[in-house]
Amino acid sequence: MAHITVNGKQIEIDEDGFLVDPADWNEDVAKYFAGVEEVEELSEKHWEIINYLKNYFKQFGVAPMIRKLCKETGVSNKEIYDLFPSGPAKGACKIAGLPKPTGCV
Amino acid sequence: MSMVWTKETDLAAIGLKAVPETEQVEKAILEIDELRQKARALMVMLETCTKCGACKEQCHSYLGTKDFNNFPAARAELFRKVYKRYFTMSGRVLGRFAGAEELDADTIGQWMTYFYQCNECRRCAAFCPFGIDTAEVTIAARQILTNLGLLPRFFQGIANNMIKTGNNMGLPAPAIIDCVEFLEEEMKDETGLDIKIPLNKERADILYIPSSADVFTNTDTMMGVAKMFYAVDADWTIDTSILEAANFGLLFDEKAMQEHNKRLVDAAQRCGAKVVVQGECGHGWRAAKMYTDSLNGPVTFMIKHVLEVADEYLSSGKITLKPDAIQERVTLHDPCNLARAGDVIEQPRRLIKACAPNFVEMTPNREENFCCGGGSGLLMDDIIDIRVKLGKTKADQVVSTQAEFVAMPCSICKAQLPVVFKHWGINVKTGGVMDLVGKSIVLPSNE
Repeated sequence: MAHITVNGKQIEIDEDGFLVDPADWNEDVAKYFAGVEEVEELSEKHWEIINYLKNYFKQFGVAPMIRKLCKETGVSNKEIYDLFPSGPAKGACKIAGLPKPTGCV
Repeated sequence: MSMVWTKETDLAAIGLKAVPETEQVEKAILEIDELRQKARALMVMLETCTKCGACKEQCHSYLGTKDFNNFPAARAELFRKVYKRYFTMSGRVLGRFAGAEELDADTIGQWMTYFYQCNECRRCAAFCPFGIDTAEVTIAARQILTNLGLLPRFFQGIANNMIKTGNNMGLPAPAIIDCVEFLEEEMKDETGLDIKIPLNKERADILYIPSSADVFTNTDTMMGVAKMFYAVDADWTIDTSILEAANFGLLFDEKAMQEHNKRLVDAAQRCGAKVVVQGECGHGWRAAKMYTDSLNGPVTFMIKHVLEVADEYLSSGKITLKPDAIQERVTLHDPCNLARAGDVIEQPRRLIKACAPNFVEMTPNREENFCCGGGSGLLMDDIIDIRVKLGKTKADQVVSTQAEFVAMPCSICKAQLPVVFKHWGINVKTGGVMDLVGKSIVLPSNE
């Protein structure tokens, strides 16, 4: 298990760099992950997507399907990759503190 | 980066145990002893290789990595030399002179590396003059590693999700319902029709088993299937206890394979299905088609692939596809488990040609096709550098076709190939065959 330090606090991350304990998430952690995932600055649109992911995960325990994420936040599939270069699963989900989606994805 | 292995403390959750390092060699030898009594075909293969080298230029793993141990005969040798040392007369007596070697920690380490650089694609078997199936050696070696507590963390996560939710992604039932409702709304917006994706019907003729990725990333595949069943007014259902075609147990643990398959059998019996239809998935097809009877049989239902079913509907006129619906230049990537001893070869071609006039075959194709490089579950980000090498031969094939769309009816291929193509700078769209069916199918009200 690895750790990152955000605001002087040690936070556990898994081998893919995803947050282990969702309770450790805060906006500064998000900003830290954004840096790792090549997102220079988190715009309003970024936050809209991050909040959508967090709420969906809170309700359903998993990340939302990508098509639904795009529709509900008003972005196209291409725009998601412009905003999060590593993509909705590896980029946006990581920044939002969700676990990494697994399986044949 | 290299493969990340499951932590000892995470093994119990999926019914496995770590064998202490000092005891691993002894345990592995016992495992081989058991195998040689149960798996006689495998033993014949181990004893038959003449090192003719025919497999070398036929294996994309060797071609992509140029690592000698990825040459199929050499890969099998990692296992064969140990088998010979302990279980053959010449091996015991002549040792190295008979190509036999003792098992040690280094060799176990090599097993962990090289049996996880084999995609179990069986292309070597198609070209071997003796029909030696290296994939069977890989499967056996991985099972032994699993029994020692050595398996990739990626598989532990999937196995854990499978136990908890009945699908590899770990989607709980409320999430599945939410996904399905969303897709139904999407189809209504698109067609004006109330096309449903039935869940957990008490009674249905057809039990459909999608890949869980079909309600997460590959939603065009799911909607294509729903439209098809709507067009023929099929009595079908999905069962949320088995929203997973991909039987990963086939890739590392027979017990997990049996448990996954049992969910399939139970669900089919619960709804009284006459046919179980497997969605666009390669390994799931092989596991369900070839192993159901021996794992959990006998069963009274038929097992068919969604492309078999779609092809039957097409040729009998039950569905019609608009012949010029897909204008792009389309090629087909034959998933290994469909084209090599899977009997789903001509069906995807007929379906594509019925709606895409600009279809071009890649070379080679059908049972001689090259693997995508993600086969046998090699989708871990930990080994991305290996994966893109494994996919290089496929990338070259696609470039030669100058295709704009590559149809690939398997979730692993759909996950692996976009990554491979991006790495090698190939700009091409990808998706399933049912995606194309969904885009071109003539639906009752818009005839």
